[in-house]
Amino acid sequence: MTHRLSQPVAERSQPLRAELLEPSHRPLAGLYSGNVRAVVARGLMALKTNNWAVFISGFIEPVLYLAAMGIGLGPLIGTVEGPGGTAVSYGAYIAPALLAVSAMNGAVYDSTNNVFFKLRFSKLYQTMLNTSLGPLDVAMGEIYLALQRGFLYAVGFMLVMLPLGYVSSWWALLMVPAAVLVAFGFASLGMGITSYFTRFQHLDWINFALLPMFLFSATLYPLSVYPQAIQWVIQALPLWHGVELLRSLSVGYFTPAMLVHVAYFVVMIAVGVVLTTSRLRALFLR
Amino acid sequence: MSKRADTTAAPDRPREPESAVGPTPGVEPAPGAEELARRARRWGVWYFAEHQLRTMRSYLSVIVAYSVGHPLLYLVAMGVGLASLVDANGGGDFGGVDYLVFLVPALLASGTFVAASNEFTWPIMDGFKWRRVYHGPLVSPLQPWQIAAGHTLAVALRLFAQSLVYFLIVAAFGAVPSGFGFLAIITSTLAGLAIGTPLMAYAATIRVEKAQFVMIQRFGVMPLMLFSGTFFPLTNLPVFLQWIGWVSPLWHASEIGRVFTYGYDEPLWLSIVHVLYLVALAGGGLLLAFRTYYNRLVD
Repeated sequence: MTHRLSQPVAERSQPLRAELLEPSHRPLAGLYSGNVRAVVARGLMALKTNNWAVFISGFIEPVLYLAAMGIGLGPLIGTVEGPGGTAVSYGAYIAPALLAVSAMNGAVYDSTNNVFFKLRFSKLYQTMLNTSLGPLDVAMGEIYLALQRGFLYAVGFMLVMLPLGYVSSWWALLMVPAAVLVAFGFASLGMGITSYFTRFQHLDWINFALLPMFLFSATLYPLSVYPQAIQWVIQALPLWHGVELLRSLSVGYFTPAMLVHVAYFVVMIAVGVVLTTSRLRALFLR
Repeated sequence: MSKRADTTAAPDRPREPESAVGPTPGVEPAPGAEELARRARRWGVWYFAEHQLRTMRSYLSVIVAYSVGHPLLYLVAMGVGLASLVDANGGGDFGGVDYLVFLVPALLASGTFVAASNEFTWPIMDGFKWRRVYHGPLVSPLQPWQIAAGHTLAVALRLFAQSLVYFLIVAAFGAVPSGFGFLAIITSTLAGLAIGTPLMAYAATIRVEKAQFVMIQRFGVMPLMLFSGTFFPLTNLPVFLQWIGWVSPLWHASEIGRVFTYGYDEPLWLSIVHVLYLVALAGGGLLLAFRTYYNRLVD
């Protein structure tokens, strides 16, 4: 009796099963299902119920630095030698650097603290990878969300720079896409590194790496105050490249060195995406 | 029915006598319950402080890294890097001293300021809600005010130690010209308590943690550090921003610190106001904390 009933069902599912077992020949089929949109949509939906004050606060810090240093210290320093040897006010000198910091902060806060929570506590990625989504979908979706935050911070920062008179060239508008590039680099690598953390306290190391980078990457004063050896160390760090790139764009002074800065971030992005994808795969698709 | 009786039979087994062996000769017998209670009532603040200090040992590396590393990084970046820019452009607006000397007392105070804003927020939630460390002492003869005071005492000792280490480092750099400079260790500890005890009183009222502490850090502590005359004289700011310094315990601590470390010239009454303001904030905050602790733990 039961045998006769189940027979037709099994027969019908036979061709379907064969189709499912057929390997896909699409490139990266095991890692990528072409559905980054789903991850992004979920992130945006989650943002609706998020604490907006926290979101905004990441942007406030560099703005306050700009206001405090530009207004308070600017008069004591007067003008500084900007890119190409032109004299710029101290405020105009630090503004593009602080924009780079703002992009970095936005990307890093999003791709470390938030990712850590989703990775270790809410098990969000585990859930996502149980669907047809692959690790590359998840990585790209999350990084995109961090970029969006970097973009918003950059636009907001530009809007603060304008009334303070720290923007003198139309080229300065290019600082927004450049800031997104900087954010992309930090977001992709930050997410990969976060995947190694297992405890909340480990996140302190991120802040611990960011502060010296912020203070020493020619943000508040030129690199030339350091001895040569220290200059090399700083020039190896990503934020310095971001600062230099944005500072050149802020006055529209173009040099071949800018290609190096852009290339630095392109490599950083590639390394970050590969690292994050392979880590998600190693963690959840064993 | 009979089966059930069997299972409950176990507790009737005679237990080992509490002290099978009599008091060992030469070893003092453990004090009785009443004696312990008397001691707790008397020394409770210290007992709880000890507990809190022992807890800090578990994150000692973070404490050292943040409390010494943080101000040192700022010292190198601002006092050496930025100073070259300030001095090169004839800054000289610092009462005839180097930018580094001007900066040191402010960094000393802001170090304890930032540390206190951490120690008096997250661990408070730990005490009431997360790991509920306050609830253990509560069932002992310790009073809520003793728990609050013990916590404050432990953090005060921590801030003092941090200031001392930092002071010795900057003094070795020759950034403390005056012989009275060591007094800045005390005023910077006071700066930490001035922001800390009101925060503690507030933190004790929080039942649902919704990023309030992150907000305090980013919209309170951070702006205060930037606009309290830390990196430049407060008078460099437009008048409508200077009030931030006047209400900020950090400005008062930095200014009195400057008086002690390099003899910054200011009227005596102003120096007295600085100290009184810090003491009033720290003391008032502590009294307020006694009340919020009592309300939360007893009622």
